[in-house]
Formats: sequence, C-alpha cells, structure tokens
Amino acid sequence: MELVVRLAGVAGQGVQSLGEILARSVFRSGLFIHGELSYHSRIRGGENAFTLRISDRPIYATRKDADLLVVLTPEMWRVYRDRLRAGAWVVSEEAAGAKGERVLQIPALRLAREKLNFPLAMGVILLGAAGRLLGLNKERVQQGIREVFGEKSQPNLLALEMGWELAPSCEWELPLARFSPGEWMLLTGGQAVGAGAIAAGCRFLAAYPMTPGTPVMEFLAQRAERYGLVVEQAEDEIAAINMALGAAYAGARAMVTTSGGGFALMVEGLSLAGMIETPVVIHIGQRPGPATGLPTRTSQENLLFALYAGHGEFPRYLCAPTTPESAFYLTVKAFENAEAFQVPSIVLTDQFLVDCYVTVPALDLSRISVHDHLLSPEELEKIPSYERFALTPSGISPRAVPGASRHLVLVDSDEHDPYGRITEDLSIRRAMVEKRLRKEEALRQVTSLPEVFPSENLRGRVALVGWGSTFGALREAVEALNAKQDRYAHVHFSELWPLRWEEVGELLRGAAEVITVEGNAWGQLGKLLRQEAGIRPAKHIARYDGRPFTPEEIVEAMTHGA
Amino acid sequence: MGPEEYLADVELAWCPGCGNFAIRRALALALSQLGLPPDKVVLVTGIGQAAKIVHYMRVNGFDGLHGRTIAAAAGIKMANPNLTVIAESGDGDIYGEGGNHLLHNIRRNLDLTVLVHDNRVYGLTKGQASPTAPLGYQTRAQPFGVLTRPLNPLALAISLGAGFVGQTFSGEVEQTAELIVQAVRYRGFALVNILHPCPSWNRVQTFAWYKERLWNLADSDHDPTDRLAALSLLISAEEKGDRIPVGVLVNTPPVPTWEERHPVLRQGPLVGRPLPTAAALKPLLDEFI
Repeated sequence: MELVVRLAGVAGQGVQSLGEILARSVFRSGLFIHGELSYHSRIRGGENAFTLRISDRPIYATRKDADLLVVLTPEMWRVYRDRLRAGAWVVSEEAAGAKGERVLQIPALRLAREKLNFPLAMGVILLGAAGRLLGLNKERVQQGIREVFGEKSQPNLLALEMGWELAPSCEWELPLARFSPGEWMLLTGGQAVGAGAIAAGCRFLAAYPMTPGTPVMEFLAQRAERYGLVVEQAEDEIAAINMALGAAYAGARAMVTTSGGGFALMVEGLSLAGMIETPVVIHIGQRPGPATGLPTRTSQENLLFALYAGHGEFPRYLCAPTTPESAFYLTVKAFENAEAFQVPSIVLTDQFLVDCYVTVPALDLSRISVHDHLLSPEELEKIPSYERFALTPSGISPRAVPGASRHLVLVDSDEHDPYGRITEDLSIRRAMVEKRLRKEEALRQVTSLPEVFPSENLRGRVALVGWGSTFGALREAVEALNAKQDRYAHVHFSELWPLRWEEVGELLRGAAEVITVEGNAWGQLGKLLRQEAGIRPAKHIARYDGRPFTPEEIVEAMTHGA
Repeated sequence: MGPEEYLADVELAWCPGCGNFAIRRALALALSQLGLPPDKVVLVTGIGQAAKIVHYMRVNGFDGLHGRTIAAAAGIKMANPNLTVIAESGDGDIYGEGGNHLLHNIRRNLDLTVLVHDNRVYGLTKGQASPTAPLGYQTRAQPFGVLTRPLNPLALAISLGAGFVGQTFSGEVEQTAELIVQAVRYRGFALVNILHPCPSWNRVQTFAWYKERLWNLADSDHDPTDRLAALSLLISAEEKGDRIPVGVLVNTPPVPTWEERHPVLRQGPLVGRPLPTAAALKPLLDEFI
C-alpha cells in the first residue's frame, strides 16, 4: 500500500508547516511516512513543495508522481499537473485554476480572508479537505496543528474544520496502525544529526549560517540550555572551525555545521585538526556547486572534496548517513572516533536527508557507546611528566587538557616534538608523520563495510552501488528490478574512510557488473572504487539537477541502459 | 613564582636585537606579578616571529593558524572560562589575516587579553609591509611604497567598544609588563598594542626613531574612562605624526562579559561536565515520538 500526497505553493504560504502537520497526523496513525521538502532559495515566492509518501512499510525515498496534489498557486499547478498518477485527486485553491475530473476547487484564500480574517490559514483549509479525502483521523490532524502552530492554533483549527466540510468523505481508506506509539520515531536528518551530537556529549558548536547546514545549528541552539551546550554563531566559517578547535583543545566536545562552500573556508582548520590531533566533528550538508550553486537543492558532489580536503597528509573519519536513523548513530560514532583517535570526523549529509521527515525505528540509547577518552585526574596525578604528542605504538597519545592538572599542554600547527614544541628536526618529523598515519590503521578496523542486499554473494548479479542518502531510492529500485528478474544487488556505503578497501574489492569482484548511482556527474564513489579497490564500474547513473533520486527513475535508467 | 619560572629553557630563534626578547621578559614579569599558576594560563598564538613566543614560555599553549589566534582563544575561553586566556601574535596575524576575528571578538567581549607585537612589517616572510606600515614605506614586495593607509588598531578597538586599550613600546619592559598586568586583570576584552623595532627588516621605525616620539600618557591629563578623548588623541597624533602615545588609552568600567551573559556558562565551564546519561537523554528522544 502506498499513497503520495504533494503540497505545493510558494514560499511564505507555510507549505513546510502544512507538510509537518500532515506528516505528524499520519505518523500518529501508526503508518510509515517519508516527507521530502523541496524549495527555492528565497523568502517569498518561488516553489515550495512537500511530498509525503504514506506506506504500510518503512520507506526512505521520495516519489516523482502523486496520488493527491494540493496546489496553492497557478504556477504550482503548471509545474506539477504532469506529475500525477492514474486516478489522482487534486485539491486546488480556486485561483490556482486546476481543472479536471477529480479536481476539488476551494476558494480557500477568500474563505480565510472573509470568514477567518486570517489569509495565512488558506493552506490549512486546503489541508482539511485533503485530510478528509485521505481518510485521516481529524483529531490527529488537530493535534498536529497544535504541535506545529502552538499558540497560533485557534484560527487554524477553524480553517481545518472549514476545509474538512468541503471535501467528499474518504476517497481512500488508510490501513490500520502498523506500530504502537514509541516503537517508531519521526524525525528529519538534520534533527538526527543534532540529537546524535547531544547524545555523544557535544558541548560546543560554532557555525556560520549556510543552507543546508543550518538546521543542525538551530536544533542545538534551541536545546543548548537544557543539555548544557554553547552554540555560537561565528563571524565566518574560518572562525567557526578555529573556535571549535580551541574549545576541543580545552576539553569540550566540539562540532561545526556547514555546506560545501563553508567547508571550503574551513579547510585550513581541518588540516590544523589533523596536525594538533584535536577531535572535531564537521557536519557538511551537501548542495549543488560549484560556488554558490543551487543553495537549497541536494547533491552528492562533495565526497572527494571531504575526503581529500586539507593540505598535508593526516587521517580523518568520513561517514555518509543513509537515513535519519543512520544519521543519529553515525553522528555519535563520528564523535567517538574523533575522541578515540584524535582526528577530525566528517559527517556528510545533503539537503534531501537534512530536510526530510522519516519514520525510523525508535532510536535506542543502548546501541550507542560514549566514553571519556581524556586522561583522568588520577592518571594525571601519577605521571611525572606529560607529552601531548608522545610517540606510541598505536599513534594515539594520551590526551590531557589545560587546567586539569599541573601538567602543561602545548599544541602546535608547526611540526612539533612529542612535547608540542616547534621543531625542524627531520627525524622527529618522520616519526610524527608515521605516528599520525598509524592512527588511520587503527581507525580502519572500526569502520563498517558496505551493506549488501539481498545477500553477500554477488555472483552473477548486477550490483548497484551508492552511498549516503540515496539508500532508500536504491533499495526500492533493486527490489523492483528483482521482482521482474532476480539478478540485481544493492551495495551501499555509509562509512567511506578509512575502509578495508581490499575487502570491498573482493566483494565487488564477485559481481557480474558494477554500476554506480550517485548525485553527481563524475561518479565520485566510482573514482574511489577504481583507485582504492581496483574496481572499474561499467556505468554511472548520475543525477546533478539538484533533485533527489526516486526509485522509479533509477529503474528507468537501468531499463534504458539494458 | 619568579618571572624566570615562566620562561622555557629553549633556544630562541629570534634575530639579535629583536623587540620580541624584551616582550618575552615583560610577559614573564607580568605573569609573575599576577601570580598566575602556569597551568591555569593558556597562551594562544598564530604564525609569525611574534607567535613563536608560545614555545619560549612555560604555560599551556595553543599555536594555531596564521590569523586565527583570537578565534581559537575565544573557543578556549568559551569552553573553560576559568582559564586565563591570552592571545598573542604579530600585527600581520591579528590586524591583517585575522582582522575579522578582532572585530567580532571585541563585540563579543569575552574576558580575553590580546597582545599584538607591532613592528609594521612581516618578519618571518622577509620584510613585506604589514597593515600598520606607513604610506610610502618601501619593501621588495611594495617597490612603489605602500599605497594603502595604515590601520589604526587602537582607534578601531575603541570605536568598537573595547573596554581596555593600551599601547606600549618593547624597549620599556616594566611599563609593558604593567600594561599586560592591567589588561589581564581587566574583566572583558583588552587589547595592548606593543610597538617594537625590527632590526632585520624595518630600517625606518628603529629603536631610536621610537624613542624620539614616545609620549607617555601617564605624563598627560588623559582620562582613560573617556573614549571620545582617547579617539581624539589618537586621531590628532596620527595627523601630526610627531608623537606616539603609550600607556592606557581606554579603561572603562567593566560591563558583563559574554561568558557572564551566557546562561549555560553561568552554571560553570563546559569542560568537565559528565557525558549524558540515558535518563538525561530520554526527553530528547521523546521529542520524536
């Protein structure tokens, strides 16, 4: 069972709020949803669309065509009229001019203005009509309105009532609840990264606002007092990363959040993190580039940038969450790896993942392990002298912070001796390079190999290989392809560096053919596979128009190719 | 602790006759007078000849990137306001590459002390003009002389509301130490511009050149609580060009610092807080049910 509802208006009409109300109402009915937010880079006008998939099973991808379209403007009717499934319904603001057999025209703006003296409630009137068509429980929609609008709920509750009365009843019958409250959760990728940071003991975030990195900053800022964090808006991204490194040196778990352009400014600081072996977590929400690109759209163009950014050679941890659930656990892991190995960790998401509302299995704190990796006061008391960069077999030096004991802590962006003092002694230089790179070998043992579907044995199968937020679209595409001819597999990376690439090579060499599917033109994972695993993908299915992949588009690309 | 106990026993890589030697002595003297334990002090520096001072002192140190000295210092102070944080680097680092961090951290008003070694040139990269080099100053990189007006860092800081602003000359070790003591004790953002000769590169603003022009504000009736008077004095000195004021330009009654205004830091430093427990995290996850 699946239903796709699309709400489309212009910025300023509250489409995101309407989408959130709808998402919450359906989630509270015990059904699975995926809500995709798509918008232009402007405060007023432009396109603002929320695509809600409703299903009786977990879903992690969006769809191209809708069963129910709610349009608020004529422009949105023109954009989305061709993206309707057979038998689709349209709920349209009268002025939007939608026409057709199953079109319900409602003078929502006029009603909102005349009956409620509140033109902004126009969208909720249409939502009311859509809710009834969908067969939603009205009380749950009312609850959603109260949660999203808070004190401003009253006129919106009246608007809901108006819309509800104007719709024919229950065109669809939604299935019964598939889960009980508490078993599944509803959250966005951005919220998941923020929640993961709090769960991992993050105490400090500095950021300069940049879409789509900002939702993480705002999530943490709003919870800063409750969970004891400092969230500071820096004067620029360069300040952000250097402030975070200062805070981390002092002993606070620290993070920055940005997008590709902001990360470009942080790159010297990333290299500093590598040199002074100071943990920091960098969240990059990708959007299409180069330069300012498409500020509010999605892409996977920064894989190689995130991996190779920074002058000099130093280890880093790089992960790319697949779903909000994965974003929560991998953000925790990014913090833990940063602390344990004293390296920068990069969490690579994208606009699609950051902004989408998804039903995920209830986040489980017993699945995460967060430990203190600093020398304890007792240990510090016992050691006669302290060297911040002591040479050790693992490359990891016991870490102290300033002010915690009588020992002094010195870090230096120049090459330094074990104490941290600047040096040009070339034998120390060699020892320090080797020490830093040894940490990568230890880190490599704790990263996970790609997830393989339907089974680890790829023999005779065409492997569709992806990474990050394309997970849901790829999985559904492979399921659909296999339903016709069972010869496909889905291989998906959520951790990308450092990896046991030999094992990746062994796995993929079993496949009849390897095809990469990525939100970029180059096939960046494909390049990495060639370079690190000796695997040469036969084909790259690319998407670089700023839109997320949908399962049907991947199936289509495969079918055309065949 | 005596001043010598703040000095690291290492070889110093500065050129003979460099003003940095005297600034190092003044800093040690100031730390001794302040009676600060070395493990409660963090000296944050950037890159340049001045920035090497962190390796020549016996306190905690963060020697970061060129220009990012104040940004890193701000992060350290936000994480642990119990530490005494001193950001120290050259004029190129603080006023050139890191200008934006200077502006915005004056606005933030953390309890930070910023010491700038101002010799008007880039020493480590061999003599190019710094943001404080005078118009017409010739170097290998500026063969037509500097065409851009020099920055007036003191007037800039005062106009942005820095609560403590002073200037001193490296040759006056005791006065420099005294100014550093006052700056560290000041509760809020404090800037001390330390003029010093560069015998290797700056053949114009020499030791003797400075000595002829220094004008000690202690000998004047300047009132450091009067910001407008300080600005007027600086602009007039800049226009006439014959006298260089040294001493305390501005010392206004402290206002609440950033960390005092922050509700989370009012509960104590971020450092040392326990990792979150499952019970503490339950309301966070309940938001998603």
